Amino acid sequence: MKLPFAVTLGPGSSLADHTGAWRTERAVYVERTAPCGNACPAGEDVRSWLYDAESGGAGYETAWRRIMETNPFPAVCGRVCYHPCETACNRGHLDEAVGINSVERFLGDEALAHGWTIDSAAVPTGRRVLVVGSGPAGLSAAYHLARRGHAVTVRESAPVVGGMMRYGIPRYRLPREVLDAEIKRVLDLGVTVEVDTPVTDLDAVMADEGWDAAFLAVGAQLGHRTYLPAASAARVLDAVSLLHGLEDGERPLLGRRVAVYGGGNTAIDAARTARRLGASDAVVVYRRTRERMPAHADEVADAEEEGVVFHWLSTIERVEHDGLVIEQMELDEDGFPQPTGRTERLSADSVVLALGQDTDLSFLGKASALQVHGGSIDTDPAFATTRPGVFAGGDVVAGERSVTIAIGHGRRAAESIDDWLSGRHPAPAPAVDLAPYEALNTWYFEDADRTHRARLELARRSSTFDEIVHGLDGDTALYEARRCLSCGSCFSCDNCYAMCPDDAVIKLGPPGEYVIDLDYCKGCGLCVQECPAGAITMVPEET
Amino acid sequence: MLRQVEGSRAVAETVARCRPHVVAAYPISPQTHIVEALSELVGSGDLTACEYLTVESEFGALSACIGASAAGARAYTATASQGILFMAEALPNASGLGLPMVMTVANRALGAPINIWNDHSDALSQRDAGWLMLFASSNQEAVDLHVQAFALAERLSLPVMVCMDGFVLTHAVEEIDVPGQDEVDAFLPPFRARQWLDPDEPVTIGAMVGPEAFTEVKYLMAHRQLRALDDVSQVARDFAAAFGRDSGGLLRPYRTADADVVVVALGSVLGSLADVVDELRDEGLAVGALGVTCYRPWPLDEVRRALREVPRVVVLNRAFAVGSGSILGQDVRLSVPAATKVHDVVLGLGGRPLTHDVLRRLVLDVVAGQVGSDTLTFYDLDHQRVATELARELADVPSAGGAS
Repeated sequence: MKLPFAVTLGPGSSLADHTGAWRTERAVYVERTAPCGNACPAGEDVRSWLYDAESGGAGYETAWRRIMETNPFPAVCGRVCYHPCETACNRGHLDEAVGINSVERFLGDEALAHGWTIDSAAVPTGRRVLVVGSGPAGLSAAYHLARRGHAVTVRESAPVVGGMMRYGIPRYRLPREVLDAEIKRVLDLGVTVEVDTPVTDLDAVMADEGWDAAFLAVGAQLGHRTYLPAASAARVLDAVSLLHGLEDGERPLLGRRVAVYGGGNTAIDAARTARRLGASDAVVVYRRTRERMPAHADEVADAEEEGVVFHWLSTIERVEHDGLVIEQMELDEDGFPQPTGRTERLSADSVVLALGQDTDLSFLGKASALQVHGGSIDTDPAFATTRPGVFAGGDVVAGERSVTIAIGHGRRAAESIDDWLSGRHPAPAPAVDLAPYEALNTWYFEDADRTHRARLELARRSSTFDEIVHGLDGDTALYEARRCLSCGSCFSCDNCYAMCPDDAVIKLGPPGEYVIDLDYCKGCGLCVQECPAGAITMVPEET
Repeated sequence: MLRQVEGSRAVAETVARCRPHVVAAYPISPQTHIVEALSELVGSGDLTACEYLTVESEFGALSACIGASAAGARAYTATASQGILFMAEALPNASGLGLPMVMTVANRALGAPINIWNDHSDALSQRDAGWLMLFASSNQEAVDLHVQAFALAERLSLPVMVCMDGFVLTHAVEEIDVPGQDEVDAFLPPFRARQWLDPDEPVTIGAMVGPEAFTEVKYLMAHRQLRALDDVSQVARDFAAAFGRDSGGLLRPYRTADADVVVVALGSVLGSLADVVDELRDEGLAVGALGVTCYRPWPLDEVRRALREVPRVVVLNRAFAVGSGSILGQDVRLSVPAATKVHDVVLGLGGRPLTHDVLRRLVLDVVAGQVGSDTLTFYDLDHQRVATELARELADVPSAGGAS
């Protein structure tokens, strides 16, 4: 080549010019907290198991095992969880939240279909822990304690384990074969179960049987009663008993017209159950408005689809032998219902009260040293009661109540019990550095509308307790998992590597491992801007 | 073979026959038809072995051509008006690095005010960018200049701009002889780059040059530009021999012998000008015209020779240097004896028609002594409108004391 003077030279290098010296800020790879996992009451690392599931195939089992690290009931939660993860999901700002709950159910069902099991590799500790109550909190605690090598006995007053998962949630939301299979997997870890064995005096049990620790998870099994003037012939029952009796094989006589009093999820369950038991009219009477109803909107919509009727702003004044007298309410300035004095009649053959649930603390015995407050057992943040070695969680402690919350209590209490038994100080709670939607660069993600699970046809819902919501298949589950934006966590897309104008991002061997060559990184921040997941941040250079 | 065809289409087909490896362009009126036609030719498979890059801007277009040329590819782009200004950063890079390529400029006014019509302010604003600048006086010449431009660019290793009047030429359908593929292949050898980027034989193109050598690099570049005058003439002679018609070259004189008045101009106005010259010659006036085909490098000696004996020279400026004077006129003034009267005239801006009548009146006014030779004359100006507006502007100026 006849090279032009000066402007064209032989090969050279500008590597001697360490442009990193210009930098005032440097890019740092970070792992932020994803909103989904942060919102999960069971403490699942949702983002990570979605990432596992995104590879499909063997990835499904990896994903399932990661769920099982925190929650032994993915198939149950994939059906009954109210998925606060999806409410928190950043993708909701973009189009619709990732269908985390449906993917979890798919993984849970895959595990059942393939018979995946969990082994406890822990060395037996020789410590014995009593769990009182076999609901989600108790079984979750039993699972995590057993996996830590403790000998666990679950004592249950009912003839079958499962607690409110069995006696509170109707089968059309949670088929019993799914529940039984997930419970069996927990018990197969070597957990001893004693059913039909109510604890009546905790102090005595602790004193006589030599337990090293106990976890109290008896739930809130009593339907809340309210005083209603009622004619002697009136059929008034409570929702908890109705649902419980049904599970025991009873077929309660509700009549053709059923009124349900209350506005929570249990009221909806009772009304929908009544429809399935043959009621032509199932009417929910609630004192406030739809917007202020504590029941989940999805459940209300399902109930309406199935023909359940709602009487908003109504209270039951009295029950007569063939119906109710209802008083109309109106909301005051503060949004509280106030009586108006206007009444109307509602024909009803029976009234089901669904006004909340109370705990039954009689098992504590008279001389218990445990501090209780307003019907709940007092606990500290580690779920320890005022009596050393005794912990409590689930519905029996104060706070919000749900299956998933109870599962989370069980796990965290098991960790506390394990710490206590080992004489360890509890590990500090991990710092939360939430990945905000604004940190993402969503341009890089493909448009992908959410998949919705198919549902049982309406005609079959009025007469059977068949499961309503169907699962995803392999394709749709994979698609849904791949909608995850991986908020705050590198997923090895190579954007930083490809975009760096200084070639200062060095890719190490394994996928997703990058380092920044600080000799040449000028701190331009392009990688931060172009990271789809918000997993890189700029920090001021130390001077 | 002569056929009725739009100027843009004819240029596009000609460019295609020059077998560019890369076409990168961003559409802008009145250049659009050219690049649309080229994209069609690539899309239809008529132009093979060519990468058509749809870029995001003119800056991207020229930058892509620079990269392509540095990699040893024959590159082509086209633009107009503000489009060439958007290329301005990259224009001296192409020339400074000695990267051959061809660019059509479909001449259009510069805004603001926005105006899509023809004048020469776009190309002339970039007259110092180091590119060769050829102006076509007709669509036939526009076609022929493109073939010559590739030959020149690659012979000199310099970029070449071919300017053709927007709409007047680009959108005119007329009889044009578009050179056949065989003819072009015979005339234009395959591109062999002077320098190219090759991973097997690496070089550094565009290294930083400091004060110790910068002046020398610039001098060599300017020297190469001036030397190019010989090549422009030679390529035009070769073209005439191969294709049997005169196109290109440095200047296009028309009946300048013994002329008392010669009108100097760039571009397509030369056609009408020739008609006016014929008419006035018939009426006994010794008038001629001088078309400047090669504007950069400026053929100083040739212009001097052509105008040496001419007492009055009229320069048609279709662009001017605001706050200074004319552009073409300044080049002409430097090329004529001091005694020559140079009537520097601005007209035909932003598409204002340069008709036969306007040109005839201009020459007659010059002959009648009604057009000055000391200052720039805006010949087709609406003086009344300007006077009104100036008066209005002056009325708006507050008096020194602040009171009115």
